[in-house]
Amino acid sequence: MSTGGKLMNNDIEMPDLMIYAMASEIKNFETVLHGVSSPLPVLAMSVARKTHAPDMAYISGAEGVDPEVDRVYPSSFDARMNRNAVGYFGLHEAFDLAQRGELNVMFLGAAQIDRYGNTNLSVIGDIDQPKVQLPGGAASAFLMPITPKVVIWITRHSKRVFVDEVDFVTGQGYNNRAEAYKKNELVVISSLGVMNFKNSDRVMQIQSYHPGHTLDEIKENTGFDLLVAPDVAETPAPSKEVIDLIHNVDTDGVRWTEFR
Amino acid sequence: MKKVLTSLDEAARLVRDGDLVTTGGATFHRAPMEFVRELVRQGKKNLSLVDREPAMDFDLLIGAGCVAKIRAGMLAFEGLGLAPNFRKKSEAREIITKEGACQPIIAGFRAAAMGLPSLPVKGMLGSDLLDISEEIGGYKQVEDPFTGEKMIAVRAIQPDLAVIHVQKADEYGNVRIEGPVYEDVIKAKAAKTVVVTAEELIPNSEFRKMPEATTLPHFIVDAVVEAPKGAYPCSCFNYYDVDYDHIKEYLRVAAKGQLKGYLDKYVYWGKTDE
Repeated sequence: MSTGGKLMNNDIEMPDLMIYAMASEIKNFETVLHGVSSPLPVLAMSVARKTHAPDMAYISGAEGVDPEVDRVYPSSFDARMNRNAVGYFGLHEAFDLAQRGELNVMFLGAAQIDRYGNTNLSVIGDIDQPKVQLPGGAASAFLMPITPKVVIWITRHSKRVFVDEVDFVTGQGYNNRAEAYKKNELVVISSLGVMNFKNSDRVMQIQSYHPGHTLDEIKENTGFDLLVAPDVAETPAPSKEVIDLIHNVDTDGVRWTEFR
Repeated sequence: MKKVLTSLDEAARLVRDGDLVTTGGATFHRAPMEFVRELVRQGKKNLSLVDREPAMDFDLLIGAGCVAKIRAGMLAFEGLGLAPNFRKKSEAREIITKEGACQPIIAGFRAAAMGLPSLPVKGMLGSDLLDISEEIGGYKQVEDPFTGEKMIAVRAIQPDLAVIHVQKADEYGNVRIEGPVYEDVIKAKAAKTVVVTAEELIPNSEFRKMPEATTLPHFIVDAVVEAPKGAYPCSCFNYYDVDYDHIKEYLRVAAKGQLKGYLDKYVYWGKTDE
């Protein structure tokens, strides 16, 4: 594992910082789902439940409810992560829950994202002649508009990801949503900071910059003009307790996969 | 009850070139890999494949030249990487890729399972995925007749054949799935023909002792094949875990364009006469 390389200058490793920021988006008593290819969401949900959200409902992509995750695997559907679950709840049932408005938080990825929060996981280039065939958006197009809070995690904050215009709208940003869904929250947690859309234009703004990083650095690595929240601040760093929780569960360092 | 126990060879012959096929499980879990390998051995052509989140089962069929069309919510190897053959052949336009999204694909299966022509879903509006799906007649915007809510109607997806790998079955086609079921029950009800490959055959009397544990009753299933290790290198809950090293080896050889060597070793067992 490349865990020797500290990505930040104050000794907190980037995955730990991002996982903690993601966990902080979960409130107690909320119902939360993670999907495929999601080691960071798995760890964030696990941390949230062991710290500030003990009563959250945890639905794993492997269909386990409230499992006690004691190891993370390359597949987020690995049923070993259903250890001690109280029951099973199928992904299709979780999607029904989302249609009823009862799934509170979902974590999704993005290969590209623009100022309105449109995400692309489909193709780089033209859909009929793709330069790069991406894996596909999975539940993005379904869940992005209708879920009260969607957290997008991006492990490489760069102009290649934060683009002026996405090549393809897989998941809907605020300019592509019906009025009823504009109230739903979108949060972007990257390797440099936390962004949201809490302004009248519903465009991306910096809410916090990670320790060791600056507003300018975030702006320089973004392909469009970012607003800055009036109450912008430094992203809270995880405590030693939280870091230990992460490291004790993910002994294999699967959290580093997306950073390599 | 009719006995439907058959051989892998016979069961795979139920798949005809050009068929629409779906597979049970999700990503690396309970994928019907032995059946997939048999499809490769039988040299199937022009298959259309549909699933919510497939992985190696679809990629192997694509790499072996069995596939013309893909419809999936996501096709990747999770944390291990992109799906190499899917990516290569989709970029070369050797296969047609029509990306769907998880819930609409499930809704298509559900509609077929319920005997309905379509089923509406929320979300989706505003995504470019609607444009590409409208081309193949998969989605249409509709208004709910009671509330006027705008939704997306998903056309029923009725696979010609669903193949599902399970833990236990009997010779009549009664099936017991252990652990996560995924959409396997929905897919089985949706498909015209259902093939089950099972780790283990158990007596019919075992099903009668605990009928609530029966996932699929016999009349849904058309063929049962005994296939121990039938999901390998993917996992089969309660039987074996994913062999991540094997999957990494597949990715390595596929990346080097050396899939033939992999097929010779693991699919044809060195018996290829090509």
